[in-house]
Amino acid sequence: MKTYEKVVDVTETPTVVFGRRASTWMGTTAFIAIEGTTLVICIMTYLYVRKNFHRWPPPPLVVPDLIRPTISALFLALTTIPNYWLHQKVRKLDKRGTQIGLLVMSILVAIAVWLRAYDFRDLNAHWDTNAYGSAAWITVAFHSTLLALEALETWVFTALFWFGPLEGKHFSDADDNCAYWYFMAIAWLPMYALIFWVPRLV
Amino acid sequence: MTAPMPVVTQEIALSADDLKTRDELEKSWAYPRGFVGWLKNTSHLSVGKRYIITALVFFILGGLEAGLMRLQLSRPENAWIGPDLYNQIFTMHGTTMMFLFAVPVMTAVGLYLVPLMIGTRNVFAPRLNLFGYFTYLIGGAFLYVAFFVNNGPDAGWSAYTPLSGPGFSPGKRVDVWAQTITFTEIAALSAAVIIIVTVFKQRAPGMSLNRIPLFVWAMLVTAFMIVFSMPWVATGSQMLAADRLIDTHFFNAAEGGDALLWQHLFWFFGHPEVYIIFIPALGMVSAIVETFTGRPIFAYPVMVLSLITTGFMGFGLWVHHMFATPIPQLGQSFFTAASSIIAIPTGVQIFCWIATIWAGKPRFTTPLLFIIGFIITFVIGGVTGVMIASVPFDLQAHDTYFIVAHLHYVLIGGGLFPLFGAFYYWFPKFTGRMMSERLGKVNFWLFFIGVHVTFFPMHILGLEGMTRRIYTYLPETGWGPLNMVSSAGAVIIVLSVALFLFNAITSWRRGAPAGDNPWGAASLEWATESPPPPYVFLHVPVCTSEHPLWDETDKRPVVTGLRTDIRENLYTTMMDAEPDHRHDSPEPNIWPFIAALATGVMFITAIFTAWGLVIGIILLFFPCVKWGWPVRAEQEKRLSGERDPLALAGR
Amino acid sequence: MALYKRSLILILAASAGGCIMGNESAFNPAGPQAGRINSLWLYMLVTATIVWVVVVIALLYAARRGHRRAAPEVSDEINHRMKKPVIAAAAISALILVGTLVYSVNTGEALASLPSEKALRITITGHQWWWEAEYMDPVSGNQVTTANEIHIPVGKPVQIIGTSPDVIHSFWVPNLTGKKDLIPGHTTALWLQADKAGIYRGQCAEFCGHQHAKMAVLVLAEPRSQFNAWYNSQLQPAAPPSDSMSQAGEKIFMSKGCPLCHTIGGTRAFGRIGPPLTHIASSYTLAAGTLKNTRGNLAGWIVDPQKIKPGVRMPPNDLSGTELQALLSYLETLK
Repeated sequence: MKTYEKVVDVTETPTVVFGRRASTWMGTTAFIAIEGTTLVICIMTYLYVRKNFHRWPPPPLVVPDLIRPTISALFLALTTIPNYWLHQKVRKLDKRGTQIGLLVMSILVAIAVWLRAYDFRDLNAHWDTNAYGSAAWITVAFHSTLLALEALETWVFTALFWFGPLEGKHFSDADDNCAYWYFMAIAWLPMYALIFWVPRLV
Repeated sequence: MTAPMPVVTQEIALSADDLKTRDELEKSWAYPRGFVGWLKNTSHLSVGKRYIITALVFFILGGLEAGLMRLQLSRPENAWIGPDLYNQIFTMHGTTMMFLFAVPVMTAVGLYLVPLMIGTRNVFAPRLNLFGYFTYLIGGAFLYVAFFVNNGPDAGWSAYTPLSGPGFSPGKRVDVWAQTITFTEIAALSAAVIIIVTVFKQRAPGMSLNRIPLFVWAMLVTAFMIVFSMPWVATGSQMLAADRLIDTHFFNAAEGGDALLWQHLFWFFGHPEVYIIFIPALGMVSAIVETFTGRPIFAYPVMVLSLITTGFMGFGLWVHHMFATPIPQLGQSFFTAASSIIAIPTGVQIFCWIATIWAGKPRFTTPLLFIIGFIITFVIGGVTGVMIASVPFDLQAHDTYFIVAHLHYVLIGGGLFPLFGAFYYWFPKFTGRMMSERLGKVNFWLFFIGVHVTFFPMHILGLEGMTRRIYTYLPETGWGPLNMVSSAGAVIIVLSVALFLFNAITSWRRGAPAGDNPWGAASLEWATESPPPPYVFLHVPVCTSEHPLWDETDKRPVVTGLRTDIRENLYTTMMDAEPDHRHDSPEPNIWPFIAALATGVMFITAIFTAWGLVIGIILLFFPCVKWGWPVRAEQEKRLSGERDPLALAGR
Repeated sequence: MALYKRSLILILAASAGGCIMGNESAFNPAGPQAGRINSLWLYMLVTATIVWVVVVIALLYAARRGHRRAAPEVSDEINHRMKKPVIAAAAISALILVGTLVYSVNTGEALASLPSEKALRITITGHQWWWEAEYMDPVSGNQVTTANEIHIPVGKPVQIIGTSPDVIHSFWVPNLTGKKDLIPGHTTALWLQADKAGIYRGQCAEFCGHQHAKMAVLVLAEPRSQFNAWYNSQLQPAAPPSDSMSQAGEKIFMSKGCPLCHTIGGTRAFGRIGPPLTHIASSYTLAAGTLKNTRGNLAGWIVDPQKIKPGVRMPPNDLSGTELQALLSYLETLK
């Protein structure tokens, strides 16, 4: 008859960890990999249909507008700075700082979503115009869907940190939310360059 | 050739302390009962089991479709099934077998076994696991409801555009296909994320990378392949749906879209998918060979490297499904080379198993017979795979019954044989009872003979000009006799599967009790009761070698210090599996099920109007918030034992 | 008219096979392309069989050997002993694969580089569910359009240019060469050559909808003189019918909507949806290789094509007995 022998005692291990140590962080990273792959697919599709046209965008379509989309992309990139500030507060388990940071980010993501709505208009093409329109639209639309969902998530986190029953592990979740926002803001830059600059350059 | 007599053993003597722990765990890990309880049950044991059973139901449905096709093709100019129905049947067969059976059953076995094999109490994100199962179930049920009301997809499981596009497939049949794909992709991606995180973070202390069982390695590689391949078909099928619903032009050549774009998107997923089915099977083979030869698999590091190499290379082959399209010569040579060379890592694994059997003491139980059948059958599929990697030959074989033969040799030989073996092998763990060895052996021989009689003649038929996906053929073609042989073989397969089901059902009810470790296996899933209790392990095990149960003395090393008053899992470091932190495992709740329903409403509505997506997001919002929003009563319990690295100032 | 007659060889081939198809098979090459592929196939078949036999023998031997011993061997020594054979097996597999790869790439290059300047060019368009073949003579500018039966001269390289206006089809005649997809928005090219006279059957290889199964094509390889005679006959428009029955048939054809889909050269029927019928009477088969071209089959096809090929684009025709007989007589004049 065998018996159990307790050789490892884990009583003293922490219950809140951040970054690579946290399983939720790893889960978030896996989802970023999935969504990143999807964004790559959109980009590949755009480039693939490009070869079926002599001119890009195909006449009579005109190139996308540049002013508002550039402001929108820059705004999105700059939100990483308050996001970084929030990220630091989260990691220090600073409840008040996290609450304020989340509130600020809630407003900023709302503005980002609002600015994004103009990007669709500034494409100067419709999804059913031709393959160029379809490819440009889906690329913007896919990122926008993620952006909108991330905005909702940020609002939920804000609500949780202000009003909800809080636990230590929620700081870890907020940490993942910050990491995801970096992905959102930075992944947009190559897509913005592709959609709004490539038709002008070639 | 005698099977080991299973003996019920009380393998572990429980102290008073252990009994107290057991009582506490039974309370804290209890899952709600009844039908509503079933909807909430987030135990990987429950989810894994129902996943496997659902997949088997789809396997039977897909098999019945195959039977109908063999009936129709058994003689020329058969008038039983017309083209409209036949096209639905073969599309249903392919879609069912690939999306509703093969991939889900492999991930399901993984979801059930991985936590057991690595020594943890539940998977990462168990609610996501439950959600994944329900989306899969809804997707599969939706497909079959559509089929029974004569709206089954009919453009082939690969749904090539423009045939599947708005111009040539009016109606909703192809939309049903596209959304079913989306459902199953969500389930597969959820499972993949769960498996990756579970394997990386929840291994028992001491289970460093070089001690992970090969099956777990295989599931890990598979999960990564799912992450990087499934988005291609998911995005592609959404583009197809958009072309059909809102007049986008991704695949419409007249507006600058491209029919070949679909093929690239589909096969960049479709080829890895073959390995998503095959690699878990390789893991099953390693587990079974190890147990029934009684020695470690020869060259473990090489086996692991082979799995990883196969996983990487699986992404470099997709164009070999497109050799008959205009592809530059240089590209063709590259893909020919890649497609032949991928045979090497698999070949190496086969050689290592043969070496293991050679040095071991094989016990010829049903699982091992299936593995021997696997090698004999699969190698035929492998060598024909090398043949069709050659562009000139593939141009003859492509889209003919030679390919049908090849792919069934690969998927049945490489997937089903190991799966049947795995089923016999792990059945005692799933149910606590042994399957009948006598019936098992008859099952094996019928299946082995049936598969070869059915599929071997198809090689010849293909090169004699019989193309795929035809509902009938003219008598002048001379294809009648071999088709009749093939159909006769299908009858044998049906018998063997019926026998298998009979064996499984009767054994589940009346089989000999199995005990913890009936086969004398080495890995940790056998270090708990059969079937495992909801808390899985009374004490989380500590892994002291590559073969913990073989190297065990009279003491079983375990972990202490995990809370027993709440559900708590131990998390370890990624490489060396040193204890790192503790985290609660989410309580079961109803919201993953509600969210899956909302997802169902979203995708099914989206067949008719693009507003379905907006409606879906609105419907999903509340369940998703509730899904993760903490419940105060549960939380207070958890907070009492929280240990933070820093003081939780101001909370 | 009617200069072209069925050649003796073809009649022999037809009667010897008990049908009008030859022995449709990649194993039975009738041209250099299929011949090269067949050699490659035989090479691969032999090596593959050897590999399989060796693996199975090794497996069964290992199982037998292990079964006899008392306990499994787990020593470092046995692991060391197994290393060499396993490495050798892997190395040999790699060598075999490289050999196959080289042979395959060589064959592929040979297939791609067969052409000569004097090749015959035929444009093949796949339709749901029939084949349209267009012969363009670059010198004279003459053009011949035919359907489902493609005549080629023996011994002359033929370049097939393929495309499709609807869905993807795949042109494949196994005795002559491998297949090529016909894809909307793309043009594909394929070389073939028949070294033996004969009728070579093939059928659409890419699933293309309801009648994918009954979308056959016949390639009729003929000695050059016969081919030329056939070609010249095809250049002629249809002669106006001479007897009253056929004249009545022509009226019925023109009034019943047939011209909306079919072309008859020299008349006002120039529909492009279905196959051209200018020389329908001289073809071997009807409905893309589905029926032998007999008066009875033609009648059955005209009255209810949906019964023979469910889903086909041609609608059923409600004709009285006399109308049908007249129409058949007219069509039989279209040699």
